[in-house]
Amino acid sequence: MAGLALKRPAARRSLISVVSMIDVMMILLFFFMVTSTYLNLDMVPALQKSDAGAGPASAPGQDATLMIRLAADGRAMVGGQVMAGADLTALLAARIAADPLTPVVLFPSGGAHLQDLIAVMDIVTRAGAVRVKVIRLEAAP
Amino acid sequence: MRLRRPARPAERETVVALIDVTFFLLIFFMLVGRLDATAPFAVKPPLGQTGTDLPAGGITLSLSPQGDLALDGTHITPAALADTVTARLARSPQTLVRINADQGTELRHVLALITRLEDLGATDVALIVTPDAR
Repeated sequence: MAGLALKRPAARRSLISVVSMIDVMMILLFFFMVTSTYLNLDMVPALQKSDAGAGPASAPGQDATLMIRLAADGRAMVGGQVMAGADLTALLAARIAADPLTPVVLFPSGGAHLQDLIAVMDIVTRAGAVRVKVIRLEAAP
Repeated sequence: MRLRRPARPAERETVVALIDVTFFLLIFFMLVGRLDATAPFAVKPPLGQTGTDLPAGGITLSLSPQGDLALDGTHITPAALADTVTARLARSPQTLVRINADQGTELRHVLALITRLEDLGATDVALIVTPDAR
């Protein structure tokens, strides 16, 4: 006996429009591109946990300590003599070769600029000094 | 008799590639970028050759060449700075304080600020520098 089979037509898949998603993504993309300023920044430690409460590694003025004064005009001086970058590098290399733990004390003038201090710290760090202190004078009341 | 060419049906351009590229760019900018407050005044950090990677988070203190202060992008007075920093350090004592000072700022401003932060209880203070590839 022949039966009659009725088949429902398969429901058509509704298409989801992606146009609005593209719009949102474009808006987000332009937002991030326009509002962002890309800066490549590093940091130099100025105060670390180990420094807090710790006294100087060696009192300034001792023979082992190398004190570098930074004048207001940005010039570095050791023992009253102005040292150019190359001379300072050579002096540091000689002192650190003799004693790798040579304490280096930077004594900057308050009138020197931050760039001058960072430049001297670069020289000291590149020379391999590991015990570096920056003397901070108390501000006048 | 003039014979007319049948008009070609316009080809439909697929937008799938456009979506891919847009998504890729979007994810790229979201991943490589870090949202950070900028100072309300012009600050040009000093050039440094021996700096290390700057970690995210912490407090950002901007310092202008004239000694003006800004905390996380907003002007702040020295008195308010003490209260805010103390409160932040009380919540999280290991908070890194980043000093974004202009390269032309005199050290009497910078060093005095570091001393002040130490007095407030900061244990990690760093100076922001721009890498100098020389």
